[in-house]
Amino acid sequence: MAEAAGGGFSAMKVVGIGVPLVYSLTFFAAPLVFLVVLGFWLVEDFQVVPAFSLENYLDIAQHMFAKSNYALAIVQSLWVSLSTAFFAVLACYPMVLAIVYVAPRSRHRLLLMLAVAPFWSSYVLRLFSWQILLANKGIINSGLAWAGFENLQFHLLYTQIATRIGLIHYLAPILIVVLYVTVANIDRDLIQAARDLGATRWQAFRRVILPMSRTGLLVSASFAAIVSFGDVLSGALLGGGVGSSVLGSVPLFSNMIMSEYASSTNLPRTSALAMILVLVMVLMLAGGAALAERGKVDVG
Amino acid sequence: MNAVSDIAPPPQVDLELRGIAKNFGDFVALEAVDLSIERGEFVAIMGPSGCGKTTLLRIVAGLESMSSGRLLLRGQDISALPVHKRSTRLVWQNFALFPHLNVRRNIAFGLTLGRHDKAAVKAKVDEIAELVQLGQFLDRRVSQLSGGQKQRVAIARALVTEPEILLLDEPLSALDAHLRIRMQSEMKRLQQKLGLSFLYVTHNQSEAFSMADRVVVMNKGRIEQFGSPEEIYTRPKTHFVAEFVGSNNIFDGKVVDVRDGLIMVQCADAIISAASGERPPGKGSTVSLVVQADKVRGHPIGVAGENSLSAVLSGREFTGSQVIYYLETTGGGEVKMVAQEPFSQTGRAAINMAMQLYWSPADTVVLRPNIVPGVENMPGRRSYVALGT
Repeated sequence: MAEAAGGGFSAMKVVGIGVPLVYSLTFFAAPLVFLVVLGFWLVEDFQVVPAFSLENYLDIAQHMFAKSNYALAIVQSLWVSLSTAFFAVLACYPMVLAIVYVAPRSRHRLLLMLAVAPFWSSYVLRLFSWQILLANKGIINSGLAWAGFENLQFHLLYTQIATRIGLIHYLAPILIVVLYVTVANIDRDLIQAARDLGATRWQAFRRVILPMSRTGLLVSASFAAIVSFGDVLSGALLGGGVGSSVLGSVPLFSNMIMSEYASSTNLPRTSALAMILVLVMVLMLAGGAALAERGKVDVG
Repeated sequence: MNAVSDIAPPPQVDLELRGIAKNFGDFVALEAVDLSIERGEFVAIMGPSGCGKTTLLRIVAGLESMSSGRLLLRGQDISALPVHKRSTRLVWQNFALFPHLNVRRNIAFGLTLGRHDKAAVKAKVDEIAELVQLGQFLDRRVSQLSGGQKQRVAIARALVTEPEILLLDEPLSALDAHLRIRMQSEMKRLQQKLGLSFLYVTHNQSEAFSMADRVVVMNKGRIEQFGSPEEIYTRPKTHFVAEFVGSNNIFDGKVVDVRDGLIMVQCADAIISAASGERPPGKGSTVSLVVQADKVRGHPIGVAGENSLSAVLSGREFTGSQVIYYLETTGGGEVKMVAQEPFSQTGRAAINMAMQLYWSPADTVVLRPNIVPGVENMPGRRSYVALGT
């Protein structure tokens, strides 16, 4: 028994550490290394050849502000993904507050299930549905016209607004779950203590619930921003590839990589572009983490 | 606040509870509780878990609604006042400190909700922190504090808002035994210094008895007894109180004789006599007799007229200042005896030794059955109330 406990413990340790290690090596580290390495390779006579060359990166650098204008695409992507994250959290947080503080506790599970339900339908299918809704002669505009609002017509499809709508619809279930965990874990005694000390409902929210949700809000916002930054489908199907925003009709960086991947024969160069995308994501993650950390140090 | 005057002013009532009732569906948590707390009084509510004591406290704080009844705070009806408008403050069992704020901001919380002068808030926080000896911890995070310090922050946070009464919900139960005893005296001193009324909920008898001016014993949503600790200890009014107060022996029996200011009760093991009081129960009526464990003795030998009971020693518990003896009567009942001098003759008593126990009829409290319609009148279970009080 003692032997089994001692031996079993170390075997458990090996399995416990080994399995996630192998998993992340296979499905995360290996493809990433492949991408990094490929970015340094070259194409000669339509053949990919191993090399250690910065040529791809130098070429991309030359096109940063000219011709393809990658920089503008990155800025467009940043603008769309950050604003998407902002509006996604803005939409989901009140929903979570309503589930936790308005609905009776016995209904939480059902409401969460309902909130998460859209997640079980196909992402592409959801985007197609939005196309039908948002098209110039789509359901929303036709409905408005039918109701007599002929002058109130929205031209949303193939703009970055439509891209954001598709992304928010995609992200909402995940954000709701993340935020639910945060808000549901706030000790209710603290809210009651604030009320007992003279706080109105609004003050209890402002002074206790909101600051205690801070980490969850930042985590979900970073998650939303990173996913939006890397997403291709919403930008292609709802944004039309070069959807317009306040920055003009500029494609998202991810859509640009996608079309280069589809049209060009230079896979190493596309890999180098993808590496830049990954790099920006890492920077976004670091930014989110830094914000969360600052909240911890700053005591109020 | 703690003005001392030569002429004793008439007692002012701080908090008055009139017929407070609370139902959770079919469950009656509180049935018409009446209670009145005087200015500057330390009142402890004591009772087993589920007796409604915390519900009562939360109703006073405004955190729980009541089914019926009225609440008056310093003469003003606060029944309809929402929680944040009441000048009552609650101190929580788990402290309920805000983890995202440091000690200073925790204490200042209640002062910074409305329009406020920052310098005045700082001065007030500094003053109260000095009072509860938290001066050097003001910039700490809450997670860096010990249990006792957390409790002081919780009390300071409530006191700094100058409440008209402080409500405390088992505030010491999260602390270890040593700290609890230190905090007890600290809290009592603080309460006397401020002259503020404390309504203190606890399930701990020694806590209630050592701090409170008056103690409320609650059971099943009703007040069983309200009086000074001495009164509750020596003169329990009901069977429940006699049992709950721990060191009492209870004998059930039937009255067989009433004479010379004494009643004789036939119990399982012996005829026990007790002072009859003003309205003695009639012959044949069922009563319970209560005698405190420290009124029972093994020696010296009892004099004529004293109660006497033979029993066998079954266990002994040495608590330092005293010894608790557990004895078994011939009828199988358990009797407790507390002796102050552990190294006396009885102190060396051996297990299974036969002993004769004595106590005076004057120390025997008579409870008679209290037949009221309610939950406690389950078959085979009766509640008893004291005679002539």
